[in-house]
Amino acid sequence: MGIAKIFSSCVIGIDAYEVEVETDISEGLPAFHIVGLPDMAIKESRDRIKSAIKNSGFVFPMKKITVNLAPANIKKEGSCFDLPIALSILAASGLIDYSRFSEHIFCGELSLDGKLKAVNGMLPTAMSMDKMDKKNLIIPKNNAFEAGVVKGIAVYPVGSLKEVLDFLNNHVDIKPARSSPEIALGAGRKARHRIDFSDVKGQEHVKRGLEVAASGSHNVLLIGPPGAGKSMLAKRMATILSDMTVEESLETSKVHSVAGLLLPNKGLVRARPFRAPHHTISDEALVGGGSNPFPGEISLAQNGVLFLDELPEFKRNVLEVLRQPLEDGCITISRVANKITYPSKFMLVAAMNPCPCGYFTDPKRQCQCTPYNIQRYLSKISGPLLDRIDIHLEVPRLNVETLSDKRRGEPSEEIRKRVDRARLVQKERYKDDGIIFNAHLESKELEKYCLMDKESEELLKLAILELGISARAYDKILRISRTIADLDGKETIEAHHISEAISYRSLDRNLWG
Amino acid sequence: MWARDRIILGKIGECRAIDFLKGKGYRIIERNYKTPLGEIDAVADEGGVIVFVETKTRISSFFGPPCLSVTWRKRKKLIKNALCYLARHAFLNRAWRIDVVSVKMRDNYRVEYIEVIKNAVEDEGEISSFA
Repeated sequence: MGIAKIFSSCVIGIDAYEVEVETDISEGLPAFHIVGLPDMAIKESRDRIKSAIKNSGFVFPMKKITVNLAPANIKKEGSCFDLPIALSILAASGLIDYSRFSEHIFCGELSLDGKLKAVNGMLPTAMSMDKMDKKNLIIPKNNAFEAGVVKGIAVYPVGSLKEVLDFLNNHVDIKPARSSPEIALGAGRKARHRIDFSDVKGQEHVKRGLEVAASGSHNVLLIGPPGAGKSMLAKRMATILSDMTVEESLETSKVHSVAGLLLPNKGLVRARPFRAPHHTISDEALVGGGSNPFPGEISLAQNGVLFLDELPEFKRNVLEVLRQPLEDGCITISRVANKITYPSKFMLVAAMNPCPCGYFTDPKRQCQCTPYNIQRYLSKISGPLLDRIDIHLEVPRLNVETLSDKRRGEPSEEIRKRVDRARLVQKERYKDDGIIFNAHLESKELEKYCLMDKESEELLKLAILELGISARAYDKILRISRTIADLDGKETIEAHHISEAISYRSLDRNLWG
Repeated sequence: MWARDRIILGKIGECRAIDFLKGKGYRIIERNYKTPLGEIDAVADEGGVIVFVETKTRISSFFGPPCLSVTWRKRKKLIKNALCYLARHAFLNRAWRIDVVSVKMRDNYRVEYIEVIKNAVEDEGEISSFA
């Protein structure tokens, strides 16, 4: 009987920290206490551990057991401490020589029969092994694929408490899980989208606008009457985005791992995420939060698309919290106890009706709304938020001829090739500037990279005078033109690029409101 | 059933329980050990572990099996009594536990069954709060 120390880790935000699981067994009235700021899930683990140890064929010591999770000032949560606590109890009762495992990290949830269940956050744990100065990670089988992509460590997949003990006592040999980000990414390339841009009839202008948006990672707002196809178009946005790079996939997978969204044995996230929260969402669900912070939709949409359908129906405070993450690409959640930063590099695609009844821009149907109502509806979307949306696209209602047209539109695959090319051009151009996309150009860089010919300068000047375009919109038009020129494969911006860009700024042209 | 009858029933049950424990290899150290807080039915030694025995006897199963009558209040009292004994004998660093023996009897005071529940009472934070 005595004392034992086993190492585990807990995830805070999207980083993992080392936790020492110490167990002391002494004589006295049988008791089992866990100290060190455990949450309810850990406190409840006592009963799981007792049963798991008993049902794995070991004896649960009927002694006074005290388990300490150090450092004692950090709040621990989740079920991943079941395995290390059980092991340290077995080690303290002399079944394992724990001193040999100072470079091992153990994580896993136990079921009553001693089997191990998958836990959340194993990818960040594996990625933090280096920082924790550990080499071996022992985790449930179902987590092995995601954690196995990290180089330089050995990940041992195990199925039950008994198996872990046999492995630690060298009775059985377990091969470390081997995979790499490339394998994990390449494994499911054929699983592509079930939807395609060719499903959409007509709306060529909108499709082109979305292509530009996808190329330069511009945020988009789709405006149109009900039934025009706004949501249909937006949902197909994911099909024309270029494939994620390994780094991007790791960034996204990390957040998904913490949120428990990674599928067992599927490895990393391959397709760019497309998140479409309902408009009743709360601000904390959108940006992340809670007293034990949890990543929100914007972080789950990391490197992908966040689609907000019926934008004015969202609560005002929910829309306003989007402003800062849209600007910074990350969100810091501050609570009394801790401060956590989640990534939030996403492309915003929003859709809305032009007025409460929806038919303001419809040529066929009469709008029922009073000007006051329309103004109130539009004012739900504040200036600062609108400011961060580069491209405004009007989605008109389709006429019968286009709808009954049997020909299919251009497939997503074709569009994606052009998008890929434009993204490559940008990556090459901005490799020294620390940005990736045209959408993130600041005014200084705009001057440097957005060179115009004489004709386009004239056109832009005219547009400012005639259409009443603001200085802010001027920058945006330049950014969009840059993307259009990139799609066109041109180094200088030409007049037709500018005029196309202006057409994507319909809200500047004071059509209504 | 009168109060006096209940006391007699308890005494009979206690004797049956002690005999049963002896047969199981418990060495009885004390019977009806008195402390300022109450009484311990029996203190025994089983393989070096000090065992505090609480017996519970019932005739009717209308209110459930006998062992159900160890309530939260009773548990605290058992622990306090045990600590009291341990402190008097300077046994605080010895291994110890509390067992409950539940005795079910028939109407004619014959034993229907006896059951020992080892480790019936566990510490859920009380000991540190008493100390």
